[in-house]
Amino acid sequence: MIEAIGLTKRYGEKTAVDGVTFTVHPGRVTGFLGPNGAGKSTTMRMIMGLDRPSAGTVHVNGEEYARHRAPLGEVGALLEAKAVHPGRSAREHLLAQAATHGIGRRRVEEVVELAGLASVARERVGTFSLGMGQRLGIAAALLGDPHTLILDEPVNGLDPEGVLWVRTLLRDLAAQGRTVFLSSHLMSEMALTADHLLVVGRGRVIADASVAEIVARTRSTTVRVRTPDTAQLEPLLRRRTGVEVVNVEHDVLEVTGSDARQIAATAAAAGLELHELTPVHSSLEQAYMQLTAAEVEYRSPGAHETTAPTRPTSGTPR
Amino acid sequence: MTTPVPTPATTANPGRRASVQPYGFGRLVAAEWIKFRSLRSNWWILAAGVLFVPLFAVSRVVSVARVPEAAGTPGMVGAVYVTSGVALTQLALCTLAVLAITGEHGTGQIRSTFAAAPRRLLALAAKLVVTVLVVLGASVVAVALAWAASSPWFEETGMSVDLLRAEDARIVLGTPLYLAAVSALAFGVGAIVRNSAAGVAFVLGLLLVVENVLSLVPWTPVQTFAAHLPATAGSELLQSDAVGSVLTTSSSSALSPWGGFTVLLAWVATVLVVAGVLVRRRDA
Repeated sequence: MIEAIGLTKRYGEKTAVDGVTFTVHPGRVTGFLGPNGAGKSTTMRMIMGLDRPSAGTVHVNGEEYARHRAPLGEVGALLEAKAVHPGRSAREHLLAQAATHGIGRRRVEEVVELAGLASVARERVGTFSLGMGQRLGIAAALLGDPHTLILDEPVNGLDPEGVLWVRTLLRDLAAQGRTVFLSSHLMSEMALTADHLLVVGRGRVIADASVAEIVARTRSTTVRVRTPDTAQLEPLLRRRTGVEVVNVEHDVLEVTGSDARQIAATAAAAGLELHELTPVHSSLEQAYMQLTAAEVEYRSPGAHETTAPTRPTSGTPR
Repeated sequence: MTTPVPTPATTANPGRRASVQPYGFGRLVAAEWIKFRSLRSNWWILAAGVLFVPLFAVSRVVSVARVPEAAGTPGMVGAVYVTSGVALTQLALCTLAVLAITGEHGTGQIRSTFAAAPRRLLALAAKLVVTVLVVLGASVVAVALAWAASSPWFEETGMSVDLLRAEDARIVLGTPLYLAAVSALAFGVGAIVRNSAAGVAFVLGLLLVVENVLSLVPWTPVQTFAAHLPATAGSELLQSDAVGSVLTTSSSSALSPWGGFTVLLAWVATVLVVAGVLVRRRDA
């Protein structure tokens, strides 16, 4: 269980985390989702007592992290792929972490085995790929068999087999009644792993709901219309208030705020030909794009043309 | 709200939980020792630092042996010759001490360290203890090697080292103490600056440049200040009585051997207190 109340972190003028309040419950996988720079990592570091909040409090398993006498038994964290000295071997890193809590060599070998590191445990971490580094980080997080797991972008750099392993592992840990809190900027991964989502943007909580709820809440019927007469059809569709039309290809429109029947009726009344009329179900990815559209800190110019057809073309913020 | 630890186990497999013990100073020292010995670079620096001492001792004793007239000169204290490599060795050991802490900041390891021991001063103290004990052990070995390696020329040069003589005991046993103290200082500087390059540059710059240059300024206030700088003051412990008395007559600012070492310890304490305050307060 993680409970944050009014958690705030300011770096000089810049507010990285802006008074967020949330509870991460045990027994399910909670995804912590947001664009880069949304304050996810900072929030996680504050949970771990590594960064001092400018305001607010955060408790893990009923206590501030720093007040736990055996924190590795309470919380296991993967904060960065390589929060490890590169000159040390994977096994020695784990042995040193284990020694702080009197955890025996057997448990170290267990997590080495579990994380699939047995063949490389003697090698220096500096030689590891990003994926191997992630496996080591996860092994370290599991050392103390903790109630709560906090993982910052755990699937970053993992191969497909590794991604599947992490997904299964996290679901198992949650099923055992543990609190699993993982961050990602990859919606597709969250859709497969998480039960609940905490969406942040620009340091604020945008949504805190189950995956299904978030999809439902942001669902707007998008209809794909293929017609040789886009130029005539577009203004007709726009007459209705609340209808957004995006001309995605020379003969394809994407229409939101209307439905297939209305579009067909409009086209028929004007005597326009339709070659395709497909309702597109909004995916979690699209829901996420909608939620965070206004909150993206680092937008690459022109990126929206290729990535998000459902994003309204008008009023691109800031 | 604040339930006393340990929080009741809510997980599906409570059987294994007994294997996790609260962290404490002893466990942290054990962990820091594992961390120290598992870095190959530490052993290279340590080996270099240890070997400087016998190499210097032999080369200096041999050079005296080459000049038969110098044999038996009263000012020639064997212990000073045996420990003459300290000036170079301290650079290696200080680098080791700086890297012990800045290496963790530079790599992100510090976050693993502080996650395991959120009472950061305890973690820092454990690391300091391991570093200082390693330096103490290494310098005892270094001095012993230097003594053994240079002893074949003692008779020829009329030198001797006898731990029953107060002066010899102070110099020979003072060498590990001095090296441990400057290493602790370097560790503190490392904890303050958190950057390997900056830490090493600062410490070596102080030892090699600042202290030497200031001591050359022929103005009494500067001389007095320079005499109280950490390495200059601390190394009084390693001076022979004869040199000490020469200095005392030429300048009023020279400190006694133990007085000088006390000044060094005061520097160490100050730097470590500043480091401790900053480590507690700063984000990791």
